[in-house]
Amino acid sequence: MTAWLLRRLAASVAIVFAVLTLTFVLIHLAPGTPFLPSTDDRSVGPEIIARLRRQYGLDRPLPVQYLKYIGSVAHGEFGESFSQHRPVAQALADAVPNTVLLGIAALVIEFTLGIALGAYQAARARRRVDAALSHLTLFFYSVPTFWLGLALLLVFGQWLRWLPVGGVSDPIVHDTLPWAGRVFDTLRHLVLPACTLGLVGAAGTARYQRAAMLEVIHQDYIRTARAKGLSERRVLLRHALRNAVLPVITLLGLSLPFLLTGAVLVETVFSWPGMGKLAADAIFSRDYPVVTAAAILAAAMVALSSVVADLLTALADPRVRLGDGDAA
Amino acid sequence: MLRTWVSLAVLVAGSTGGAFALRRRCERTGRGRRFFRHPTATTGVAVLTFFVLVAVCAPLVAPYDPSAQPDPVGLQNRPPSWLHPFGTDLYSHDVLSRVVYGAQVSLGVGTLAMLVALTLGAVVGAIAGYTGRWIDAVLMRLVDVGIAVPRMFLLLMAVALWSRLPLGTLIVLIGVTGWFGTSRLVRAEVLSLRERPFVDAARALGARSGRVIFGHVLPNAAAPLIVSAALGIGHVMLLEAALSFLGIGVRPPVASWGNMIADGRDLLTIAPWISLVPGLGIAAVVMSLNAVGDALRDALDPREEAT
Amino acid sequence: MRTRVVVGVLVAVVAAAACGRRVGCTGEYCGTLVIAAPGEPDILLPPASDDARAAAVFDQVFVKLADLGPSGNTIGDAGFVPELAEKWEWDNPRTLTFHLNAAARWHDGRPVRAEDVAFTFDVNTDPAVNSPARASLARVRRVTTRDSLTVVFHFSEAYPEMFYDAVHHLRILPAHLLRTVPRDQFRTAAIGRAPVGAGCYRFVEWRAGQSLELAADSTCFLGRPHIRRLVWRFTPDPTVAVTQLLAGEADVFEYLSPPDLERVRTAGDLVTYPYAGPYYTFLVFNLRTRGDTTLPHPLFADREIRRALTLATDRQQMVQSVFAGLAKVPPGPMPLLWATWDSTLRVLPFDSAAAGRLLGARGWRDHDGDGVRDKDGQKLAFELLTPTTSVIRRQYARLLQEQFRRVGVAVEITEVDNNVMTQRLETGNFDAALMSRIADPSPTSSVALVWLAGGGSNYSHYDNPVFAEAYARATGATTRQASMYGWRAVFQQLIDDAPGIWLYSQQSVAAMHRRVADVRLRPDAPYALARTWRIPPDRLIDRDRVERR
Repeated sequence: MTAWLLRRLAASVAIVFAVLTLTFVLIHLAPGTPFLPSTDDRSVGPEIIARLRRQYGLDRPLPVQYLKYIGSVAHGEFGESFSQHRPVAQALADAVPNTVLLGIAALVIEFTLGIALGAYQAARARRRVDAALSHLTLFFYSVPTFWLGLALLLVFGQWLRWLPVGGVSDPIVHDTLPWAGRVFDTLRHLVLPACTLGLVGAAGTARYQRAAMLEVIHQDYIRTARAKGLSERRVLLRHALRNAVLPVITLLGLSLPFLLTGAVLVETVFSWPGMGKLAADAIFSRDYPVVTAAAILAAAMVALSSVVADLLTALADPRVRLGDGDAA
Repeated sequence: MLRTWVSLAVLVAGSTGGAFALRRRCERTGRGRRFFRHPTATTGVAVLTFFVLVAVCAPLVAPYDPSAQPDPVGLQNRPPSWLHPFGTDLYSHDVLSRVVYGAQVSLGVGTLAMLVALTLGAVVGAIAGYTGRWIDAVLMRLVDVGIAVPRMFLLLMAVALWSRLPLGTLIVLIGVTGWFGTSRLVRAEVLSLRERPFVDAARALGARSGRVIFGHVLPNAAAPLIVSAALGIGHVMLLEAALSFLGIGVRPPVASWGNMIADGRDLLTIAPWISLVPGLGIAAVVMSLNAVGDALRDALDPREEAT
Repeated sequence: MRTRVVVGVLVAVVAAAACGRRVGCTGEYCGTLVIAAPGEPDILLPPASDDARAAAVFDQVFVKLADLGPSGNTIGDAGFVPELAEKWEWDNPRTLTFHLNAAARWHDGRPVRAEDVAFTFDVNTDPAVNSPARASLARVRRVTTRDSLTVVFHFSEAYPEMFYDAVHHLRILPAHLLRTVPRDQFRTAAIGRAPVGAGCYRFVEWRAGQSLELAADSTCFLGRPHIRRLVWRFTPDPTVAVTQLLAGEADVFEYLSPPDLERVRTAGDLVTYPYAGPYYTFLVFNLRTRGDTTLPHPLFADREIRRALTLATDRQQMVQSVFAGLAKVPPGPMPLLWATWDSTLRVLPFDSAAAGRLLGARGWRDHDGDGVRDKDGQKLAFELLTPTTSVIRRQYARLLQEQFRRVGVAVEITEVDNNVMTQRLETGNFDAALMSRIADPSPTSSVALVWLAGGGSNYSHYDNPVFAEAYARATGATTRQASMYGWRAVFQQLIDDAPGIWLYSQQSVAAMHRRVADVRLRPDAPYALARTWRIPPDRLIDRDRVERR
């Protein structure tokens, strides 16, 4: 177990290192140059850009820059953002909690909704409700996220005025509220972006859950449970669902990169200052230190979550033995 | 305009008729029966046939030139009417004509990018699964790296490398960033097939590794591949829309469903048809692909072969 | 049972949230203005930033010696209104003395002194800082202090816009806080994220990616501002920014796009305020070979080809299509803001037949019948560069593409991000591009920057001695009338040489909640007078009354 964990963690470090290298090379090869203003209606002047490039060591050969960067990352130094004029660590520290909050909320929606729908559909397999729900979830799956987000904002923000139009919290009253009010305010702001991100994923999870459930339902121990005279509801919830949820946990680890990716668009539409928006802006403005740091962080999160997902699977299902090489 | 209506009617009739004819023919075989047993399979086949036919016959169906701007002042953002059944957009383009030509691009990009991803994934997965040892380890670590970078980051960076991005390159890029999951799937399948008798037999007959992999192992691993491919096409179409939203998708004046949706999003309240029509197009294709994929999985499932 | 507990907790949370609102502020000096902003400033330190979004914050936090008056005049000192300087006098034509207001205080409580002004001048002319104001201060030889409240500007020569140059770009900085900051690190200084100035609003908080808040300084020497809090709420998607406005979550958006204006017109709570905008946009031709600035461009080095392409464009129709009355076709490269806007200039009309004749006369004919003109096997085609971030320019690129197609010219549109766009413009690696400029109140610096040989943004490499001479005459004129006459000649030369196609100058429109009264928007800086806006006590809404903890 410990050996397995150590091996997986070492592999994770290697993965993160490879991602760092890949990102570093790609972003430095891209045309364009850092330090340009974010709009093109004024100009900075080539001499000032040349000086800034010198100041940040961008005039040196790429391998030298790479080695220097590796050295500073090894010391936990991520450098200074070119466009935000502050340490990268600070910029990330502002963005990461937002992404994590949004990601967790979206995951909760995705999995509770997906598992519930999938289980319900499996119980009603091949009936009309099943087909109707399949189509409904697929419809959400096939709507571009940014479009869904804009439509939700129009309906719930502008027309009904039930929920706020973007942002993480109310800039005026948030700080004046007692803690419960602040929590409520944050939740209100979280609803729409989390739903946008979660609904799209729920469709996939529901399909997966439905299939897993159908597989389980036909197995012997379910027949036994039914034969014992247990209520159908109890059979499905206690016995079938429990076993069918297992494969879905693996899915949880795999859906993290999707959440980070899908988040770029959702964060833009909902003015949610998270990692996706930060990284996309950094790529567009050639803010090299932020791009590489964001990629490192994202890779680390993905690698770690896949380890955690494997661990969870093993803990939940005694038949899975850890240490089967790289079976995960 | 009459030509459009007539050809649309012919295509609808043709695709529906075709789907039912196919169903009658296939019901003679066990697989075909299992395929069409799905309630939505026939509809799915009909819808897909319809869109493919529309894409192929675009010049016949489209009432206007898709990039013509007849009157950017007088004919801007017009709601649907007899002359423009799906209305017009910001540039006075006819939305119907653009949707029709956009089907060519969107279905084309979706299919080709998916094929690139599928081929790469299948080849890498098969080689890794079949050869094992260090090749397997190296390839799978590569896949781990690919999965660890969010795809949108990769695409954003890769797209930035080209200052003018040809359609072909975009397709390859989407494909190249999307094969990691497939390769894991194929590898797992190959691992379980590797020790089967027919593979041993082929090896005993002196077939070389490449021949065994591509001649014997892969065809038997096809079922999950086909299903994931069906969903993959829809996914690529959505990805293309997202890239267009960020301004790096299919370039104008070429129409794609994705860039139509992205172009129409600022006009969501005053001219919703611009983004709604291509959006519904994507939804219809994804739902049909999915229905067909589901049916295919049942039809190809070896466990059902016995019953 | 369990559900009841959950419901109970929810009710408690909602109740606690509701009880959090107290009655709060009443009277003349309440008011909270939420500004929907599509982007974030880069850094809040005037000499280190040339960003329009930062400038809106500078206008509140920092003061100038004197500010542009409502007339917008930039010649001599007529019309300028006192700000940090109570009064000024000319010791001789080249020496200008300012007397500072003794009541002015930095936000940390220290008085503003003459040495702060001298320090500010020093910083802004330091090449290591590379302030955007540096070029305009080139003819100020030095700045000295006579006593703690008197500061003297010594010019190397007398010229019409010398007063404007001395005051307009110079936002006075606190010397006691910035003296220790190394000059080459102004762009990364910590104070740039928490600025200290002497303006009527002081900095409160900047939450990255979310909001930026300023609070009124009730003891401000320019008069107590009526609106207590100014909050910029960052909303990257402009469509969503307008949705916030319509949902009542924001009060102002200063830069409505045409479709957004249509959305706002139907909203009862909002009033629109048009103001002459500082933006203008044109298609710039690269007169040199793509990627090699030493050779002439095969097409665009020829003045007649450039004129033909201008004749081929129906600019009036494009403005109608894109802006529906919110912009005008300028006679030359100028914003609506400039006094040089002159409708009597001779412009090239829309005449595609004439365009065709001109191109034909130069040997460009459609020999192979494919719809595109060609000469010696070479197609009449070029690439048009446009930034992905500008919806309006992307729209223009496609309209232009179609209009050029009609006269047999093939245009390939390349949409690139701003960064690549600027880089390609600066290295001359392009054929033609859609360029937007934001202008100063005076054409002097902008025209030099974009059209004089060696100008920092002269991406066309336009170089005409006749034009340069006309420019020197215009900027040397000492009366407003002579200056107008001079600028007329300058722009006529540009129009005739057609180094670009002058597409549109925007009429900016701001939308604001109707409870805000006494609103005046200065065309060059819409928020410059925000300290005089007010919200009458009987029109306060909830967010105006909220007390900050």
